[in-house]
Amino acid sequence: MMKGYAGRVLEINLSNRTYSYEPLDEEIASLYIGGKGYGTRLLYDRTDAGIDALSPENPLIFATGPLNGSVAPQSNRFAVVCKSPLTGGIGNATCGGSFAYAMKRSGIDVVVVSGRSERPVRIEIDGKTDEIEFIDAADLWGKGTYETQSILGKKKKHAVIGPAGENRVLYAGIVSDERIAGRSGVGAVMGSKNLKAISLEGNRKLEMDDPDAFKAYTKSVRKLFADHPHLGSSMKRFGTGGIVNTTNARNILPTRNFKYGHFDDAMDISGEYMEDNELKGVKSSCIHCPVTCGRQVEVEGAGVVKGPEYETLALLGSNLEISDLKEISEWNYLADDLGMDTISLGATLSFAMELREKGMLAIDLEFGEAAGISELIRDVAHRSGIGDVLADGSKRMSERYGGSDFAMHVKGMEMSAYDPRGSYAQGVEYATTNRGGCHVQGASMYLESVGPLTINPQNLKLKADIPVVQQNLACALNSMVLCIFTSYGMIPAMVHNMNPNGLPLRALSKVMENLGPMFRMSMSMKGPPIFWWEKWMSQITGAPMSSGHIQEYGGRIFNLERIYNLREGVGADQDTLPRRMLDEPTFPGMTSGHPLDQLLPRYYKIRGWDQAGIPTQKILDKLQVRS
Amino acid sequence: MSVTVELSYDMSKALGERRLEMPNPGCVREVVSYVEQKFVEKGADFSLLSKVTSVAINGVLTNHRRGMKTKLEDGDVVAFVKAASGG
Repeated sequence: MMKGYAGRVLEINLSNRTYSYEPLDEEIASLYIGGKGYGTRLLYDRTDAGIDALSPENPLIFATGPLNGSVAPQSNRFAVVCKSPLTGGIGNATCGGSFAYAMKRSGIDVVVVSGRSERPVRIEIDGKTDEIEFIDAADLWGKGTYETQSILGKKKKHAVIGPAGENRVLYAGIVSDERIAGRSGVGAVMGSKNLKAISLEGNRKLEMDDPDAFKAYTKSVRKLFADHPHLGSSMKRFGTGGIVNTTNARNILPTRNFKYGHFDDAMDISGEYMEDNELKGVKSSCIHCPVTCGRQVEVEGAGVVKGPEYETLALLGSNLEISDLKEISEWNYLADDLGMDTISLGATLSFAMELREKGMLAIDLEFGEAAGISELIRDVAHRSGIGDVLADGSKRMSERYGGSDFAMHVKGMEMSAYDPRGSYAQGVEYATTNRGGCHVQGASMYLESVGPLTINPQNLKLKADIPVVQQNLACALNSMVLCIFTSYGMIPAMVHNMNPNGLPLRALSKVMENLGPMFRMSMSMKGPPIFWWEKWMSQITGAPMSSGHIQEYGGRIFNLERIYNLREGVGADQDTLPRRMLDEPTFPGMTSGHPLDQLLPRYYKIRGWDQAGIPTQKILDKLQVRS
Repeated sequence: MSVTVELSYDMSKALGERRLEMPNPGCVREVVSYVEQKFVEKGADFSLLSKVTSVAINGVLTNHRRGMKTKLEDGDVVAFVKAASGG
């Protein structure tokens, strides 16, 4: 058996309530690692083109990777893969917490849920005896994710949906502990199967190739994290909300449905403000994570609950022109409890506000007005009244009411909180990422707009190169499955501590910006492992690992997603940005928006695709991607 | 001619205001000196906060322009900005 894997895939058929444990496909694991990569390969192979994402034919795949089940910091995420009901293309999301650890400890790498139960059901997996129970879940149907997990108890770890998933809100997520696999509508797919929850626990040990080396090295990584200015300090103090003031100063904080990149009251929704005024505690709800980016705040009627993260602060805050942190915290709690992605929710609300402002939709919503939003969020989750319309997301709303130029989605998935007009590489990433308008499938903005060492985000240099490298890295991390925040540690403390206005940092930035093809070549070299995820992969699986290997794995996974999308009709015509991003300038001196048309041809070329955006047979063969 | 100066969170706590209007600045260095003077008047330490902040003009870092010598125009927004990560 391959080291780092439990060696088993649990197949569950809800239609006839049967299950079996099958051996892990080692060829798939060796090519696609696990997590998102393994899940995508299964999805591609097992489904016919054109299936309805909410039909029993769409499998819902929960997948761990070789780092899960270890105590490596940030190795606590599982991936969920299915066809997305939101985009019609590849759907995937990852989630922290402790479910992935419990899954691996139950001796399971992957759970494939297929079919559909006639009645609401939940599944309990006994990770010691391998027995599975299908339990009627009528008593839980309609309950929120927090209450559901509380009723299910603490003996097992749970992945559950709330009313949004039950009602097939197209951006419903799957919640575990306080974390959510938020994007792509994976919760709607779970709801379409009438599956309320999966619960499991086990006590099996992960077999590693070199456990002693892993143990010693992990100790040193914990120290590195503790001493790191971001992972060990600012993320602890401010959470992800610590970036609000930065994106605002860089003019890329979505404001008023992405019309602007600057919000005058941004400070009131920042991580620093939260620390000073609202914070009730710092908590990482992800097992074995020393970063503790999780916030705790008080919400009236709910007590001390998980606080909003950056994306939520932006999409439900500045983007709606709301600066009341208490309101945003309440909406964040509601969305989590109802089981919804706050990014898609926020961008859909802002779209509805602009439609209303332009007289295109009769709805009682206004920028800057908090009244009525809590009720509307509940209506979305329950598909009541106008909430039923918002439950389908901004793309479908624009098809019904018009306004496609300012419906802020890519491929049907709402864009996250970095305005690409001030972050060109991030714009290319949004346009080309297979699951749609997302930032954690690459996080290019870190290297151009927000991190300690950034290049000029508004010229063409490296703007097609960075997304390729970052998307490949993210694909690999999401297959191990490791939190992408770990990549923020790539830039060493020494650089963080340099004078940000000093000559050495400016020179470094210039050198980086002018690396040209050297940037990708340096990341694609196969040699000894450098970064911790490479070393862990090597110590756990025994396989050689380096930045070059990671780029190869990631490129393979990315291309597989691409050909899945093409098969499902999500083609290169959807490699674009909303017209507002392409046409409307937000910086003085700009005459239009993001220069995507100048960057896409180069991006396709670097990818080894033809100019129509189709992967060539040569690149598929090179990466061993079977179509 | 004047520019708006947006302070970092910590700077605004120290000065008790978030924004300053500065008349007739020639370049970024003059803005930095202006803010430093405000700190001196308040008896606060500017160097601790300024050494962790870059300066952006209308969202673009001065590092990508002409640094502290970058000339300013009427209506520019000059912001003190910290590096961050998140998501």
